[in-house]
Amino acid sequence: MSEPYTKMLPGISNLNRPYWEGLRRHVLTLPECDDCGLIWYAPSPWCPKCHSRNFKWIELTGKGHVNAWSELKGTHATLLGAPTDGLPDNAVEITLEEGPRLISNLVGVEPGEIRTGMPVTVVYDDVAEDLTLARFKPA
Amino acid sequence: MSTFDLKDRTAISGVGDTEYGRPLNRSAIDLAAEAFGNACDDAGISTRDVDGLIMSVGSPLGVDCDSLAQMLGLDLRMYSQTWTHGRFTATCIQQAAMYVAAGFADTVACMAALGSSGVQAGLNPRPFNTDPFAAAAARDEAAREGGGGHGQDPVYGIDTTDVGAALVARVYFDRYGATSEQLAAVSIATRRHAAMNSGAMNREPLSLDDYMQSPLLATPLREPDYSLVAEGAACVIVTSTERARDMRKTPVLISGMQPLPVGREEFIWTYPGFGVAQQERRAYGEKLQPVYKMAGVDHSAIDALFTYDVYSIITWMALERWGFCKPGEAADFTQGGRIEIDGELPINSHGGLLSEAHMFGWNAQVEIIRQMRGECGERQLENTEMMQWANAYGDSLIYRR
Ligand SMILES: [Zn+2]
Repeated sequence: MSEPYTKMLPGISNLNRPYWEGLRRHVLTLPECDDCGLIWYAPSPWCPKCHSRNFKWIELTGKGHVNAWSELKGTHATLLGAPTDGLPDNAVEITLEEGPRLISNLVGVEPGEIRTGMPVTVVYDDVAEDLTLARFKPA
Repeated sequence: MSTFDLKDRTAISGVGDTEYGRPLNRSAIDLAAEAFGNACDDAGISTRDVDGLIMSVGSPLGVDCDSLAQMLGLDLRMYSQTWTHGRFTATCIQQAAMYVAAGFADTVACMAALGSSGVQAGLNPRPFNTDPFAAAAARDEAAREGGGGHGQDPVYGIDTTDVGAALVARVYFDRYGATSEQLAAVSIATRRHAAMNSGAMNREPLSLDDYMQSPLLATPLREPDYSLVAEGAACVIVTSTERARDMRKTPVLISGMQPLPVGREEFIWTYPGFGVAQQERRAYGEKLQPVYKMAGVDHSAIDALFTYDVYSIITWMALERWGFCKPGEAADFTQGGRIEIDGELPINSHGGLLSEAHMFGWNAQVEIIRQMRGECGERQLENTEMMQWANAYGDSLIYRR
C-alpha cells in the first residue's frame, strides 16, 4: 500500500458518501425506500421508483449473480492506440440479491471461466489507504 | 395536449459533407465550414441565407455554434447545441423542424464537425482520441456521479462505450443462443456497402472467415464490430417544405418524428425490458410507435433503415426495438443478405458508422437524402419512397419524397 494509487478515483459526494464509507468498513450499503421498499443504485436524493424522500441506508448481503460479462482483450480506446496495460481482465454487471446492478470486475477466475448467472459474492478490495472497491468473486 | 401538425411541413433541402478519415490534420471549424458550404451549394442558397444553426457534439471534440457563427460571419436568429457525444442526430433535426414550423427561423443548418482538436487548441495536430482535451471530456462523462451513459465505470477500469455494448451482446447471445457467426452479418453488410462508397474509411471486403479470425476486443465483440472513429463533418439544411420546393434539389420531407426517451428503463444500447443496467427484465411489447402514427405508415412502408451502428450489436437492438422483428429474432433476420442493398430491408447503404465513418449519424442523414434523390451511383437503392432513421436508444425520423 506504499505505492501511490494512480487509477481513477470515485467522485465522492454528499449523496454517495455513505456508500464509499461503507466499503471502507467492508460493508456494502445502499439506500432503501421506506415507502415502496426499493433498494437502489446509484444513491440519489429520493427514491427513483416512487419519489419518496423517506429512505434509510441498509447493509446488503454482498451476494448476487453475474448478469452480463465481457473479457477485455482490448477496447475501443486500445483499438485507437491507447495502451492495454491498466485494462482490467473483465467487466461484469452484477445483479445483487436485493435487486440493484453494479458494474465491477470479477476476481479469482481464469480466462474463459465466467458464466452468465454465476453466483458471486463481494470482495472488499482495499486499493488505497482511503479507498475500497467492491469487486466480486465466484461464490 | 395534441401536437401541432408537423407531418411533411418541413424538409431537408440541402446536404453537405467532407472527406472522412483519421487524422485529417484539419481543424473542426475548417471541416464544419466545408460541409456547411457544400450543403448551402446543394440547396442552391447562399451561406448568408442561413438564419439558424444546431450543432451536435460541440467543443472540444467538435465546434461550438457561437465560434462558427462569429468566424463565418453568420447572422443567426437561433442556435442550439447538444452535448459532447453522439446520439442527438434526430434531436437536432427535430428541433430545427419545430423552430422552422413555428417561425423562429427559416433556414436551419444542423451538423456535426469533428476535427483534429489539437489544431483547434493551437497544439500539434493529433487525432482527437489522443488529444488531452478530448480524452478528458470522455473521461468526465464516464466518471460522472451515477456512472457513464453507456455503462462505463472508470473506477473499475471501464471508461469506454464499447463495454456496455459487449455486455448487451453477451446477454443477447446467452438468452437467444445467437452466435458470433450470426453477428458477423451486420459488419459484412456494411463493409459491402462501403466498398461501393468512395468516401468510406474501410472499403476492404469482409468475409465470415475474416470476421471469425479478427481480434477479440471486449468479448464477444471483435474488431469489425467496432465503428471507425473519424474526423470530418456533415450538414443538413432544414427549411419549410414550401421553401424547399423552390430550391435546387428535390426536397425530402420530414414526415414522422419521435424524440429521444430516457429514464431508468432506458439504456442506450438496448430497449426497455432487456434487463441490463437498472432495467427490469420483462417482455418488450413494441407498439405502433408515434413516428409511424405521425407519418401514417407502418414498418412495411419503410424502404430502407438507417441506424446508429456504433457497434454491430446495436443494429440488432434497433431492429427489435422498432418491431422489424421480435426480440431474439434479429440474429436470424439479418442473415442471407436481407439487410444488404439488394435485400428486403437494406440497412446503412453508405457503410454506416461501422464502415463509412463514425460521423455521429450525420453521414446517415446525408446518405438518406442522396438515396432519395437517386444520387448514389453503384450503391443506389431501387426503392426510396420512404426511409427511416431509427435507433436502439429510441428516437426516429421518417423521411419521404
Ligand atoms: Zn420508493
